[in-house]
Amino acid sequence: MNVIKTPKNQTNSGKRELLFTFQTIIVTALLAFTAIAFFFYNQLTVVKGIKVIFAPFLSVVPLLFVLSILRDLRKGFIEGNYTKKQILRFALLTVGITAAFTAITFLLSKINALEILLAGIIAILSTVFFLRSKIKDILGMSIVTGIAEGIIVYMIFLF
Amino acid sequence: MLTGLDTSMQQKQLNIAFFITTGISVVVFIYLVFLGYDEVKTFKDVVKIIGSVLFPIPLLFFIRFIVIEHFLPENTDEYKIKNQKPATILLVVTIVIAMLLMQIIEFLTQKKLEDALVLAHLINSTSISSYVFNYLLYNNLKANGILSGILMALAIHIFFFSA
Repeated sequence: MNVIKTPKNQTNSGKRELLFTFQTIIVTALLAFTAIAFFFYNQLTVVKGIKVIFAPFLSVVPLLFVLSILRDLRKGFIEGNYTKKQILRFALLTVGITAAFTAITFLLSKINALEILLAGIIAILSTVFFLRSKIKDILGMSIVTGIAEGIIVYMIFLF
Repeated sequence: MLTGLDTSMQQKQLNIAFFITTGISVVVFIYLVFLGYDEVKTFKDVVKIIGSVLFPIPLLFFIRFIVIEHFLPENTDEYKIKNQKPATILLVVTIVIAMLLMQIIEFLTQKKLEDALVLAHLINSTSISSYVFNYLLYNNLKANGILSGILMALAIHIFFFSA
């Protein structure tokens, strides 16, 4: 909790940015955890070793390309409060993304080769980093929260 | 002088209350871990428990993101007097409702809560982290009442109503 209350970022938008960063770190950790859990539990095998090395490039290269040419899509975090309507809309969006990611994690659990699993996880990770760097808004935050909750819900109830 | 002493005492009481509530939750958690010790055999169960403990954290970050304004400085006597009664009522009502709900669910599914350890972990971790979060950042006494109520109901249920 102390980290959230650092005196450096006392403005509300600064605090929001910090929370957003933390949320992306949590999602990254959860994705790594998912990869490890599926790897050990499903006893995945490496079908073709060379694919493991190339799996990340599938999504990392487009990500870097997009990040380098695209301007920031959102203006950044707002200073004041959100309206009730906005809160409701983004809460619903979060619930929707949670449901979607429960399903996506279920699909990931059906994969039986490590290299394809890695490619999938890194594709999601790239999406998260894209949101982190370009969509600095409540929209990005609700999507990232939805991804985190979707993975956790799958782990609790379906795994 | 007297009022100052009074406020500091109230502040201290609240802190003790905070530590006791957190303590109860930790005890419930340890109890659940020991209760499930025989059942936690596979890697899968460990993953489920980690998941249920982590569940509230992204949600709380999201809530904090939306409701960034502080309510904390309002920790005055006036604020407390105004909220004492509704908070206490909420506490009692929540304890009763939560316990009834758990009894009904157990009756309907014909299963003990102890058999669904993940669910118990989930309720415990969600309510305790919301409690700490509310206490540290907002100090909303009504929310405090509800969350303490859920924690108390869970503790009472686990310690007294499970043979």
